[in-house]
This record gives sequence, C-alpha cells and structure tokens, in this order.
Amino acid sequence: MARVVSILFFVSLSALAASPEEAARAVLQTKCVSCHGAAKMSGLDLRTREAAMKGGTRGAAVAPGKAADSLLYKVVSGSGELKMPPGKQPLTGAEVQALREWIDAGAQFGGGAVTESSWWAFRKPVRPKLSGAANPVDALMKRTADLADRRTLIRRLSFDLQGLPPAPEEIDAFINDTDPNAWDKLVDRMLASPSYGERWARHWLDVVRYADTGGYETDVFFPSAWRYRDYVIRSLQQDKPYDVFVKEQIAADEIWPDDLDLDGAYEMPKSKLASLERRFGTALYTLGALPVENSFFGDQYRSEWQAEAVETTGSAFLGLTLGCARCHDHKFDPISQRDFYRMSAVFAGSEDREVPIVSQMRIFEFTRYQTKLVALDELRKKYERLKPDDKDGRETLLRQLGESYLKAPRSYDKANLLAHTEPVYDTHILVHGDFKNKGEKVGPGFPMAVGGSAPEIAEPETNYFIPRRRKALAEWLTSPDHPLTARVMVNRIWQGHFGKAIVGTANDFGRQGEPPLNRDLLDWLSVEFREQGWSMKHIHRLILQSEYYRQKRTPLRMDAESLRDAVLAATGKLNAKMFGPAVVPPLTREEREGGMRDMSQWPVSSDAAEHDRRSVYLFIKRSYRLPMMETFDAADPSASCARRETSTVAPQALTLMNSEWMNAQAARLAARLATEKDPVERVWRLTLGRSPSGIEKKRAQEFQARSGLPSLCLLLFNMNEFVYVD
Amino acid sequence: MWTNDLSRRNFFASALGFPSLAAAAAGTAGPINPLAAKKAPLPASVKSVIFLFMHGGPSHLETFDPKPALNKLNGQLVPASFGHVQLQFSKFNESPVLGSKRTFTRHGQSGLEVSDVFPHIARHADKLAVIRSMNHDGFTHTAALNFLNNGWPRLGRPSMGSWIVYGLGSECDNLPAFVVMLEGGIKSGPVVYSSGFLPAVYQGTTLRNGPAPILYLKPPEGTTTGQQRAMLDQLKWFNEQHRQERAAAQSELDARMASYELAFRMQVAAPELADLTKESAATRALYGVDEKNTADFGGKCLMARRLVERGVRFVQLWSGNTTEGGDWDGHKQCDANHMKMAGKTDKPIAGLLADLESRGMLDSTLVIWGGEFGRTPTSDGGMNGGGDSLGRDHNPYGFSIWMAGGGIKGGKTIGRTDEIGLRAIEDPIHVHDLHATILAMLGLDHTKLTYPFQGRDFRLTDVHGKIDLLAKLRT
Repeated sequence: MARVVSILFFVSLSALAASPEEAARAVLQTKCVSCHGAAKMSGLDLRTREAAMKGGTRGAAVAPGKAADSLLYKVVSGSGELKMPPGKQPLTGAEVQALREWIDAGAQFGGGAVTESSWWAFRKPVRPKLSGAANPVDALMKRTADLADRRTLIRRLSFDLQGLPPAPEEIDAFINDTDPNAWDKLVDRMLASPSYGERWARHWLDVVRYADTGGYETDVFFPSAWRYRDYVIRSLQQDKPYDVFVKEQIAADEIWPDDLDLDGAYEMPKSKLASLERRFGTALYTLGALPVENSFFGDQYRSEWQAEAVETTGSAFLGLTLGCARCHDHKFDPISQRDFYRMSAVFAGSEDREVPIVSQMRIFEFTRYQTKLVALDELRKKYERLKPDDKDGRETLLRQLGESYLKAPRSYDKANLLAHTEPVYDTHILVHGDFKNKGEKVGPGFPMAVGGSAPEIAEPETNYFIPRRRKALAEWLTSPDHPLTARVMVNRIWQGHFGKAIVGTANDFGRQGEPPLNRDLLDWLSVEFREQGWSMKHIHRLILQSEYYRQKRTPLRMDAESLRDAVLAATGKLNAKMFGPAVVPPLTREEREGGMRDMSQWPVSSDAAEHDRRSVYLFIKRSYRLPMMETFDAADPSASCARRETSTVAPQALTLMNSEWMNAQAARLAARLATEKDPVERVWRLTLGRSPSGIEKKRAQEFQARSGLPSLCLLLFNMNEFVYVD
Repeated sequence: MWTNDLSRRNFFASALGFPSLAAAAAGTAGPINPLAAKKAPLPASVKSVIFLFMHGGPSHLETFDPKPALNKLNGQLVPASFGHVQLQFSKFNESPVLGSKRTFTRHGQSGLEVSDVFPHIARHADKLAVIRSMNHDGFTHTAALNFLNNGWPRLGRPSMGSWIVYGLGSECDNLPAFVVMLEGGIKSGPVVYSSGFLPAVYQGTTLRNGPAPILYLKPPEGTTTGQQRAMLDQLKWFNEQHRQERAAAQSELDARMASYELAFRMQVAAPELADLTKESAATRALYGVDEKNTADFGGKCLMARRLVERGVRFVQLWSGNTTEGGDWDGHKQCDANHMKMAGKTDKPIAGLLADLESRGMLDSTLVIWGGEFGRTPTSDGGMNGGGDSLGRDHNPYGFSIWMAGGGIKGGKTIGRTDEIGLRAIEDPIHVHDLHATILAMLGLDHTKLTYPFQGRDFRLTDVHGKIDLLAKLRT
C-alpha cells in the first residue's frame, strides 16, 4: 500500500507541475532555501541560478545538465557522504527526482529568484478565526473530561498562581459563593495577590539560570543577585508589559539612560529610582555560571561572557539554540556561525560592573567616616602582630576590635549591573569557538533568517563611543512582526499552568524542537498577547477562565519550592516577608557533609524567622544545592532550564520521612493542632483542603493513638494527595 | 541499538522520566523502575566499575612514569626544544626542572615499573595496564575534574556514572545504582557526580561513613523500624484510597508508592552494607581497615567490593579533600605530599585488587586509578627546599592512569610521554577515548548512548572518542 501511495505521489508531482522547474522550485522553496538562502549556511545560496552555480564552501551546487555530477543532487539522493536536509526526514523519492529532472533540463530559474518559505516559527503568527465557544481557549482546545469540583479547583488554582495551598476558610468561601462569577473573581483575586509574583518569578528564574554564586572552583558570591530576583517578582506583580520586561533586562541602561550618581540629595528622586529599578533587570547578564579561575586572558573572559550572554538570550527570549552555532554553523536552523558572533558583538562594549545605587550624598556620608575603617584596620594589624602567648593582649584587642567594628560605617548599597566599556572591543568569529583562533572581524547583528524588522545600528568608525547595540537587540525582539518573542512567552505561560507546553521544547522552536500540539492556539494567544499590551495577566486570565483549564485532569506533582512552602503553610509558620537578600537556612551535619567545601561559604541567616520564608528566597549556591530542592528536581542553574523533570525516586521518600527539617515541621503542625477539639478534622483541612471520610478519620485516630500526633502530621505530608495537585 | 523493541521503548520512556508512559508502552501493569537492569546492546566484559579518584592530580613522575632525565636536568631550565605550555600557577619556561626522589623497580612477571611510593600496589603489577599517554587541555582543577568525570570542561553535562546507569540500569534494587564515597569536599563541587541534563534519578548518591551511609536514611531519633513500617502501611492504605479515582495517573502514583518501599528496603539494606564488622579479620587486615592511616580509604575500598557484590553499577571513591594539603595537589613539597597520600591509599587499593581476584569478581569489575591530571616536570615554588618549594604544577598534557580487571591483560604500559614527562607523544589517549573505551567494555557504543537536550543529541564523548585502546588493553 505504501508503495502505491508513493508512486501516486510521484506521478502527481510531475504531472501537476507545469514544468520541471516548477516542481524543483517547490522543493527548493520548502526544503532548502531557509538555510541556503539569505542565511547562506556554508556560504551557499540556492535562490538564484548564478548563486547556485557559484556554490558555497564545498564548491558549486549545480552543474546544469548533469544532475549526477551536481553536489545538490548527490546530497539529497544520499549517494555521497554529506546528506541533506539534516535531521531525520530526507526528501521523498519524488522530490529527489524533481531536482534531478530540473538539473538535467538545465537548472533554469525562469521564474526568478526562489523566495523563502521558512520554518513555521519564523513566520509571523496570524490570528486564526474562532468559532463556537466564547472563550478562545475553549474554541481551540476541546475539553475531554467533566469539570472538576470547586474544592479541587481552588486548590489547583492556588498552587498554580501562588504556589501555596488555599486556607480552609478560603475554600469554604469559594464553595459557598453563589455569585455566577465566583470563579472569575477568584482568578482575579489570586492574580492580584503578591504571592503570584513569587510563584511565577520562579518559573522565569529557571529560564534565566538564576543563582547567587558563579559556580566552578571559585564559586564566587554574587552579593546583589537578589536584587534581580526581586526585580522579577515586582515586574510580575505589576503585570509589567512583557516587551518592557524584555527591553529592561537586555538594555535598560541604553533605552532609559539616566545618571544615577549626579544627584545631590540624600534620597534619590522618584524618577531616578524608577530608572534604577529598570536597570536591575540587566543583572540577568551578571549572574551566569562562569569559570573565573579559568580565565587568565581578558579576551578569553570576554569571549566566554559574551557567548554565555548569547546562549542565554537565545534560550530565554528567542527560544532558539544559538549556542549550537558557536563553533560551526547551526546544523538544523538557519543560524550561521557568523550570526552567533554578530550577536556576540551586541554584548561587546558591555560588562558586569558593580555600581553604587545610592545618591552621591550617601557615598560622601560613607567616605567621611571612612577614617573609622582605617582605625579598625590598624587594630587588626596590631592583633596580627601579637605574640602567640599574649593572652591578655589578645582579649583586650578583641574587645577593641569588636567595638570598632560596630562603630565603623556600613558601606552604601551597590549592585552588579550592565555598564559600558570604552573602548568597545572588536568581535571576531572564533574558529571552532577558540578564543586564540580569531577569524574575520564582525559587527553587531541578529540572525535575520529568523525574521522581524531589521534594526539600524549606526556607529562611528572609532572604538570610542557609547554603544547602543543591546537597545537594537531589544527593539528587534519586541518589534510587532518578530515571529518568536510572543510565541515563546505564551508557550511558557501555558506550560506553567499545565506542566506541559504547546511546543514541548520551550527553549527550542527550531527544527530540532517539537512541533506545536496546536498551532492555532499558540498563534491566537501570541497575537492576543502582543495586541493586548503584552499583558501576562491577560493571558493567564484567558487560560484560567476556560473550561479546558477547569476540567478534571491527571494530578501534577508539586515542584520542590511549592512542596516546601506547602509544608510551612500547614504549620502556620510560613514567614510571608517579601524581598531582600538570600536566606541561608541552617544545615545539619549530615546535610553539609561531603558537599560543602567550606562552611564559611554558607553564612546561615542569623534570624531564625528568616528560615521559614518562601523557597524563592533561599540561597542558590551553584556548587552546593540544598538536598531537598535537588531531590525534588529544582532547576539546575548551570544553564537555562526550559522545563523541570518530575522524577519519583526513593531519596524523596527518605527526605519526607526522615529529614530533621520534615520532622520538625510535623512537630510544629502537631503543636498547632494541640488545642483543637478535633485535630484529625483540622489537619486534613490544613494539609489536604478537605474533611476526612468516616473510615479515614477512624484510621487516622487509631494511628494517632498508637503513634502520636506528630507522626500523623508526618504521615499526611507524605501522602500522594498532599504532594500531588488534582 | 537495542536488540528488542520492548527494551528500547522501555529505555526511552523511562529515561524521559515518565514511568506511566513506559508502563503503557511495555504493555505491563504497574510502575517501571527507570533503574531496572537493561541488557547491554553490545558484548560486555564488565558489569561494574570502581573508579579510584585521586583528587588534586597525582604526579605520574613519582608513580608510574619514570623519567631519569629529570634528575639529570634537576635545577636547570627546561631545554627550549620541549616548547612551551600554559600552566595555572607557574611560568613553564622560567621554572627549573625538578628531579624525582622515588626509586622505580620492575615488578611481577611483566616487569612493569612502579615506584616505591606504592609498595603494595606494585605486588599487583601484572594486573595493571598503565596508560602513560593520557591527555586533555584543562589545566585548572574544575576544568580537569569536569573533563575526567563529565567529558566536558564546563558545567551542565552528566557524569560518566550517570551515563552508564542511564544506559544499563542497575542489578541491585535496594541500593543506589551509582555510588560516590568522598573524603570531604571536591574542588569542583558535586557536579562531577551529577546527572546534568539527564533525569535526576541517574545522579550519584554519596555514601557516608558510619551506620547511616545515605542522606536521611535513618528514621528520626526514637522511631523504630517497626513504627516506621506501621506508618508506611498506613500511608499505603491512604494512598490506595486516593489512587482509586485517579485511573489516568495510576502508574505514576504507584511509582511513588513503590519508591517508599524501595526507601524502606534501602533503610534495611544500607546499614547491613555498611556493617564491616561481618568481614573476617583477614579481609579487614587486607584493606588496612583497622590501621589508623588506612582506615578511611580501606573502609571505602572494602565497601566498594561489597557494593559491587550487590550489583551496584558504578562506584567512585575519592582520595583527597579540599583542605590545605589534604589532597594530591602537590604544589608544595610534592614528594612528601605524595608519600603521605599514598600511605593512606596504597594498602587499601592493593587489598581491593587482591580481594576482587580471590572472590572471582575481578574479571567482571573494571578498576580505574587516576586523577584529573598529572604534574609538571618543572618545580612550582622554586628549589630552595622550604615548605613552599619543590612542588609540581598541574599537567594535563601528559599523565598516567591505570586500569585493571574487566578482561584487561595487565602488566603493561600503553603510550609514552616525552623524555621529561611533559606531553604524551606516543599513542596519545584523550579523555574522550578513555570514556569511549570504558563504555565499550560495558557493552555500550559511545556514539549511540545519547540524550536529547537543547536541540541536539548529547553524548558523554561529545563528538569525539576512539576505542582502539580497547584492543591494546585486551591483548
């Protein structure tokens, strides 16, 4: 049967095409020129006869009249070592035959240059027409199950939007709400809750490989990384338009230039504070993983940093694996090595710099009292000169040191942000990605085969100028006809709600990525996103209001952060304080054994109440990850994490049953229940959001009688029902 | 790659971390353990690997690669004919050559040369295949540690143990498949035994000393095994109630229930594993478990044998931590440093080789000894004899490792470094080649053991790796 079909297809191609040229053009257009067109992968352009005969780095592609001798025919027919197109789908027999006939007939381009019919993701999304249901998601996605009940829905929504369980009183209120708009009201309330920002910031922090240290042997501490984390939380809470969010992270300093240090007043004026807040976004490029100890050369460090910036930009904003083009042209997408280094040049002239974020007067205030620091330093020198047996001298000096330390002025606030360098260093294509092997010099640019409007980057010849390259990049990404930016983000939003995205490979919309499960849905939401002012909350609302979202579904396991936060919430001890420096929780000896190089690298937060804060505020050290977070699949911050794994392994069970922390939380929850008349009823509502059935209650009471209330609390924390959200 | 379709589907589905899919594809009920043993796709000579990792970079010049020229050139600058290399701390062309104080003697029937730093290991010379031409270009600890363990000098790639367990699963259902025993911190952190972009189930589990070798293994103070069993039975009952109305998620929920049973079995099995008192006095003596200097590494080596006996796939033992002078990083007084470090490990390693052999386990167990790089022929810190002098800097350009067991014909050297032991000049074996060869011995084709990530199929050996070493090891 398959054979018959292919023969029929073969006939149809040749028969339907008016000429060999037309049949061949169709193949070139759909299978070849997206890479071998404007993108000129391997230098080859197949859009015109002249260019095809000239060929690329491997020589002429076409020898008119002699298909068997033509490189193009050899690579598509699979007769040579090189095979095209790359990937798992070779051309069909009919397509190969069409090219053969066309070349044998003289390879004419009578119809003019072949135009590109590019990859779906590189074409601007067009809003499909909807019919039927009022909600666009319902019009495009058929629900396959009944709607879930309200108790299920409020727990689902609360974990989804806030990463926290609903309080028992909230559940009752929702179940008893007779307003026909009860659901929409609930959605609006939770979207407006500050917890929404904390929960959804975590999704974005995965994508931008956020951490508080640099990794590798030195694992340098980033003392102000938390300001970026807070910036993300605030941006989401405010529903900052996504295009602005993108622009700020890439180029706040270039788009909203503002001298932060020229104001005389103690307090910075509001306008400057707003500019400063935007600039915290650029810290995105100051907190990647870099082997500082391996960078002995300025150019090496710069090239590594620029490459990391390009890869992260590609993954996070473009949904493309630009990193694949660092050493050679991309094997599957129309991104040449040249494109990679042109993108890299966008970041030339920029660097990570620690800048004061207070007014000049605050800095003067500090410098005025710096003599106290000098005095402290002198005491320290004196201490170091002490004879080893001078016990009295040691004690006296220690006291004096302590007092001087307390009197010494605290330094003013600083943050690591992007700033400009002068001169702007040249960028070269690096042969095989090797910084010592400099190839052709290139200027800034973007992979235009992707699409979007080409931005202007006009620069003087000299290296001494203030670049505006990142601004151009941000404007390209957020231009109305950019095909990827909106799609990539609505896809992430969808994934955040359902655990599974429309394009399963959220960081790869290229040819190696998965095709969209529902292209119309993706495109409708993308166009809507852009046209409705890039409002993320608007997209959330459309999705959440749909029946598709509200149907019964396969339960999803909580992520590491939600699990820890849900446990803390049940105990009533969750510290809801927002923002600020990373919280460093205490570790047991067992937990730090082996993993930690040096405990001075783990400065435990002195205020114990801090240890009960939400997980998004926990210290993320690249060289040592908190065991519970790691075991429950928290993102590895080595590189952008598109989607977390959901593993089910025995160490998770051991963690929840045996760890000191879990047992301490079980004891706290038991203490909370101590004065309850019906502790079993209450603990069910606090942890599972429902009342126990008769038999469950009986079982639980028997267990409590035998093993005690803390054990019952621990049992609940270990239940599938606690860890999974319906 | 796989001989039957079922195991292939199983393999991919479970590798993606969807036990439910795996169950559906295999047409079986119940969860599938992603660590279940899988048949090696190619003929395998090795079932388990024990990697003895000498943290810091042991000197080949003091151990397995004698260079008489060093003593002749002692104190002089390296002749210009050897060219220049980049080092981390010292300037190669401004540093004097440092002679070696060690005496090399031929051992066994083969006459393999081993220095007097390892008198015990030397007795097993006929088991060792010493590769003298190892090389890569990562001259800092992190780059080199990542290279040796993850096949890539940067962060984010899975470690060799993770790849192997991903490819072959484990023959043991109550212990982790990939076990790491540390002596303290590692300069690069836990990345060297992480699963990188592979599912977390494949990452190395650190086994600690003492009766609770796995993190959170012990129930909290005051909870007996019986009480915990009672809690698990109760938990099971509640989970079964919960599962009834959730048919679609059944295998995932079942997998979670099964993970509790596995955890419970581990709680029983691991203390039994860690209880070395059951070993005979002769065996304990063989490893030096009861001698102060060798107790730590001896205990680790003995534990490694016990793990392999129970079917654990990949065991990595670390000698050396991150305290000053606590590892093989001989920047200062390299000779004294190595005498100290060798003193802690020589007898235990020899004991392991002897014990594996006498139990008939050596043929199916591959033992690898080595560090992240070797050391320079030149002195780091000058020649004045003070505490900071007479050291050797990092040398990734030519260094030695050895392999034993797993069908290897021992008592030989492979490859050669130049006259001063700076660069591998004959039969150079890159780390990628070493990795490809180890996988081949386990019955895995390094070009086919892949995992899709960020738009392409990744391998342990990146786009490199040759296995011609295999024939040299076996003949």
